[in-house]
Amino acid sequence: MKKEMDVDDHKLELPDLEAKYSTSITKGLVGAVAAERLLRDGPNELRPPRGTPECVKFGRQLAGGLQCLMWVAAAICLIAYGVQEGQGDRGSADNLYLAIALIAVVVVTGCFGYYQEFKSTNIIASFKNLVPQQATVIREGDKLQINANELVVGDLVEIKGGDRVPADIRIISAQGCKVDNSSLTGESEPQTRSPECTHDSPLETRNIAFFSTMCLEAGPHPDTQASPAGTATGLVINTGDRTIIGRIASLASGVENEKTPIAIEIEHFVDIIAGLAIFFGATFFVVAMVIGYPFLRAMVFFMAIVVAYVPEGLLATVTVCLSLTAKRLARKNCVVKNLEAVETLGSTSVICSDKTGTLTQNRMTVAHLWFDNQIHTADTTEDQSGQSFDQSSETWTLLSRVVTLCNRAQFKAGQENIPVAKREVIGDASETALLKFAEVTVGTVSEARGRFPKVAELPFNSTNKFQLSVHAAGDRQLLVLKGAPERVLERCSTVMIKGQELPLDAQWREAFEGAYADLGGRGERVLGFCARWLPAGTVAAGTDPEALPEVAVGLCFAGLVAMIDPPRATVPRAVLKCRTAGIRVIMVTGDHPITAKAIAAAVGIISEGSETPEDVAARLRVPLEQVDPRQARARVVTGAELAGMEPGVLEGILRAHPEMVFARTSPQQKLVIVESCQRLGAIVAVTGDGVNDSPALKRADIGVAMGIAGSDAAKNAADMILLDDNFASIVTGVEQGRLIFDNLKKSIAYTLTKNIPELTPYLIYITASVPLPLGCITILFIELCTDIFPSVSLAYERAESDIMHLKPRNPRRDRLVNEPLAAYSYFQIGAIQSFAGFTDYFVAMAQEGWWPLLCLGLRPRWEDTHEQELQDSYGQQWTFEQRRYQQYTCYTVFFISIEMCQIADVLIRKTRRLSLLQQGLFRNHILVIAIVFQVSIGCFLCYCPGMPNIFNFMPIRFQWWFVPMPFGLLILIYDEIRKLGVRRHPGSWWDRELYY
Amino acid sequence: MTKEAKKPFRQSVAEWRQFVYNPDSGEFLGRTAKSWGLILLFYLVFYGFLAALFTFTMWVMLQTLSSDIPKYRDRISSPGLMISPKPDTALEFYFNKSDANSYAQYVSTLKKFLESYDDSKQSENINCTPGKVFDQNDVADKKACRFNLSELGQCSGKEDKTFGYSKGTPCVLVKMNRIIGLKPEGEPYIQCTSKTAWGAVKAVEQGMVEINYFPPGGSIDLMYFPYYGKSLHAHYLQPLVAVQLAINSNSTNEEIAIECKILGSPNLKNEDDRDKFLGRIAFKVQMTE
Repeated sequence: MKKEMDVDDHKLELPDLEAKYSTSITKGLVGAVAAERLLRDGPNELRPPRGTPECVKFGRQLAGGLQCLMWVAAAICLIAYGVQEGQGDRGSADNLYLAIALIAVVVVTGCFGYYQEFKSTNIIASFKNLVPQQATVIREGDKLQINANELVVGDLVEIKGGDRVPADIRIISAQGCKVDNSSLTGESEPQTRSPECTHDSPLETRNIAFFSTMCLEAGPHPDTQASPAGTATGLVINTGDRTIIGRIASLASGVENEKTPIAIEIEHFVDIIAGLAIFFGATFFVVAMVIGYPFLRAMVFFMAIVVAYVPEGLLATVTVCLSLTAKRLARKNCVVKNLEAVETLGSTSVICSDKTGTLTQNRMTVAHLWFDNQIHTADTTEDQSGQSFDQSSETWTLLSRVVTLCNRAQFKAGQENIPVAKREVIGDASETALLKFAEVTVGTVSEARGRFPKVAELPFNSTNKFQLSVHAAGDRQLLVLKGAPERVLERCSTVMIKGQELPLDAQWREAFEGAYADLGGRGERVLGFCARWLPAGTVAAGTDPEALPEVAVGLCFAGLVAMIDPPRATVPRAVLKCRTAGIRVIMVTGDHPITAKAIAAAVGIISEGSETPEDVAARLRVPLEQVDPRQARARVVTGAELAGMEPGVLEGILRAHPEMVFARTSPQQKLVIVESCQRLGAIVAVTGDGVNDSPALKRADIGVAMGIAGSDAAKNAADMILLDDNFASIVTGVEQGRLIFDNLKKSIAYTLTKNIPELTPYLIYITASVPLPLGCITILFIELCTDIFPSVSLAYERAESDIMHLKPRNPRRDRLVNEPLAAYSYFQIGAIQSFAGFTDYFVAMAQEGWWPLLCLGLRPRWEDTHEQELQDSYGQQWTFEQRRYQQYTCYTVFFISIEMCQIADVLIRKTRRLSLLQQGLFRNHILVIAIVFQVSIGCFLCYCPGMPNIFNFMPIRFQWWFVPMPFGLLILIYDEIRKLGVRRHPGSWWDRELYY
Repeated sequence: MTKEAKKPFRQSVAEWRQFVYNPDSGEFLGRTAKSWGLILLFYLVFYGFLAALFTFTMWVMLQTLSSDIPKYRDRISSPGLMISPKPDTALEFYFNKSDANSYAQYVSTLKKFLESYDDSKQSENINCTPGKVFDQNDVADKKACRFNLSELGQCSGKEDKTFGYSKGTPCVLVKMNRIIGLKPEGEPYIQCTSKTAWGAVKAVEQGMVEINYFPPGGSIDLMYFPYYGKSLHAHYLQPLVAVQLAINSNSTNEEIAIECKILGSPNLKNEDDRDKFLGRIAFKVQMTE
């Protein structure tokens, strides 16, 4: 999959090409042949991979570990109901209700999960949208419009500006044709397409245009007026999935979607819980059989234990917590497609970031100027509010005039009220930069151009490497010229320094060379500017442009202007934040190594004082081979070096140099880099925008696509989309991801705790034969009704410490649910809650006439439906029905006890280490509301008329609410003691056993 | 990188064995002996404390309870009805009037039940004023009212030792569940009718059976109320109503369904939807020859 393209059609001569595809480059294919090939190769479109059928996806949601247990429990209920019904027992409808409730729980949570999954994924859909609708094809000499998906290899097609290229085509003839390959290679400069083979690599050569890339509209001033703009004719060499983009698409969909770390965590502990549930259930099934219960009863016990022990509401809680964070992130311009990705970002230890657009503004901007033998710094911030350099010099007056006049870019009309930086411009990137720079520094450009009307001009071309124009200026003419600095200097004889024209001697040349090298070394694109006053009439209007260079000699050198795509203002801070958070930022770009290194240094990916091996070699004046890699913290690796590396070498480099920049990389190499990082155990986030990035995005633990610049394919392959294309948003995401991991831990600890007070009633019921203290329906109410909101509210908890100063979690060691968490929740807090429940239970029983000792062993008579005169401790006689309502009273009392303790529980879960008072008891308003809600629901369930017969809740005595409160207080105090110990004695036995 | 290849079985077994007992570190189930000792000690103290707290709470709670009168009687506002003898499984009487064995159990149950009503056992009981509740709230020593077995007439077991079972006139004693402090209002009495809901015929109306009540009219005297609980009111005897079913000789082998209800008292419920024994009771009798 990862091997590079093996196309050689660009190297073939046209006759060979004709022979290879048995076609004609003038008349095209014969219709019959085309039809035959269409049949052979299939339509020219990307085939979506075979997706999983929807019903299977839904079925999977219903067949998770916990769900299976619930199905078993429901089945046991139904069997119990059936058997009891068969025996003519009328009081057994409870089992039927329970079965229905369990099935409902599974189905509803399944729908919930399915909906979440449905909202995300589906990668290939957008590749489809890339296919053009119509194509102009020449067959048997006739020009036809056909559907692009009917194109076949060998077809002769015509493309023009504004079209999408309908297939991979070898250009046969072209006029001013430029294509935008950015979605494929990440290069944002439009690429000229022409019939000559210019490069060995099919991706680099000019004579191949790729499927789905855009053929650009011609600019406002076509280079050569004679020929029509932006058209090309070419031969189809690949169609459908065999095109470059098709291969990348299949590369992306071939990359298996890795499980997210949080999914692994959840699976990990769901397995444990399911295992424990079966273990408990089976143990007590055996115990029950040994004690002498009938088989069916023992099965019902098994079922009840499973229901009590499985945290039914947990998956819903996790999903809701994650979606809350996702919402919060969306407000900060991060849209999360796959919910679990929220947490992944928090675990991220390496970010492979694209350069253009993510770290930079994706806009050429004037960064430096050199005039008066001095380098001046221009403002490169996003709003370009003001300029800081000295503008009083006369040299600047000349330079600014050249910049203004020798420029063919212009603002689109009607943008006067928009800030300059945001205005749209017609023209290429450098000219746009210069235009905006001029507009900001010297005022309205169009006015200046009006004062100096253009007489003649020679546009830029790659042979001259300069551009010049002549303008009328009253009784004189002004010749202005800009271009590659060395070419510009050739034509100069003087240089202007502080308004004085000085002869251009060796000293000035040296100064020029120094400045040029300096600016070039910063990764900036440097242009030279010069001018000359001519007497009026030197150049007449309509002079042949080709004659102009002859006039342009003996010019006066005004200065250099250097441009760069500057880093976004927020990025250096964000990179620093990543560093303090222990996250390594690696730059992976298709751009030039020098530019890449300059930007990396500017944003802090290569920190101050870090050297690359090349720098070390230069400093020590030793050959590069002798440099000890350990001396160089930073390293720039190019795609060419990468291609020559043995497997495993890259890992070594990644390990040796903490600060890495990859330049000139191909899509496959990006994938290789990501995989190498992953092999080193890192959790990798990848940012990208082009189609070329989609395999890496897919392969990454979390792919982050750019919302503005990103192609649809990238967005589809990604798990997250940055709406503002800003790297700093990722840092916000990391922060939120870490917070949600901590908070999920708290939520889960809270949710798990109550499983013990739900389980113990059954254990005591089976072993001590007391009347049942807590019913299954009541348990479901705790799990799915009252406790959901509080556990979700923990997602709103603030971070306890500065989480951005900690290292990323180690996915192998720092589990979501670890041993201390389970032990503390189950055996300590859960135990206290159980005692609270049983205290309240025995109080309620005793106060209604059943003393604790009488309760022990009472179960067989208590549950005997024929016993209508069972005596209590006071000699009163109870009918079965009266006892049943007493049992419901016990359920309710136990329920209230758990609720009361859970209030204490949710409060202690606010922090894991800090004291509650340090965290602020009421600062999380949602949590306070959740507690109020929980109590209200409790009251409603208790006191709403009709509850006893529907959901087995009884209106209980007011004072029974207070019985569990001392236990709640105990929980609060005990946990404060725990936290105090953890804070005071880090690393101690106490810390190790009790800090979760 | 695809999912890691599954570990070979032998390796995972070895890992398990290592986990169960690791000879290198002396770890047993992931902890050393010392570690186990510490953690078990911790939990011993922890649970010891919890158990002590629980015991203490229970003790305090029991201290607040009276041993005489329950704190609340929320679930038993109205008494249930029950009969004696009570067949083991369902409330269905099947007997052969000429076969003493077939009803021996009923008879012995009745005898045993009525033992406590024997005059010799009622020596400490006093004769109360009929028709009035016998309020003894202010008296420390609560007296029980005498219930004369003679009031049960032919069903007292004095004249007919088989309680009518041998004659085709079986007796069933109906009694009200004891509830502390319950004071029935009005003039409560037991009345039995045919129960048709089970698909049975209207036995009484069709003359299949004639019902006699002892005391007459099935009345329950108010003087037996209220009840003060088993510790204060040790000799208390529930008032009984004997229902004699004189089964027509033509109707032997027929299943007769009877429902008895307590009537005449506004505060005794007898129509509860769910509780079929609250102030009423239904049973079947089938006599053969």
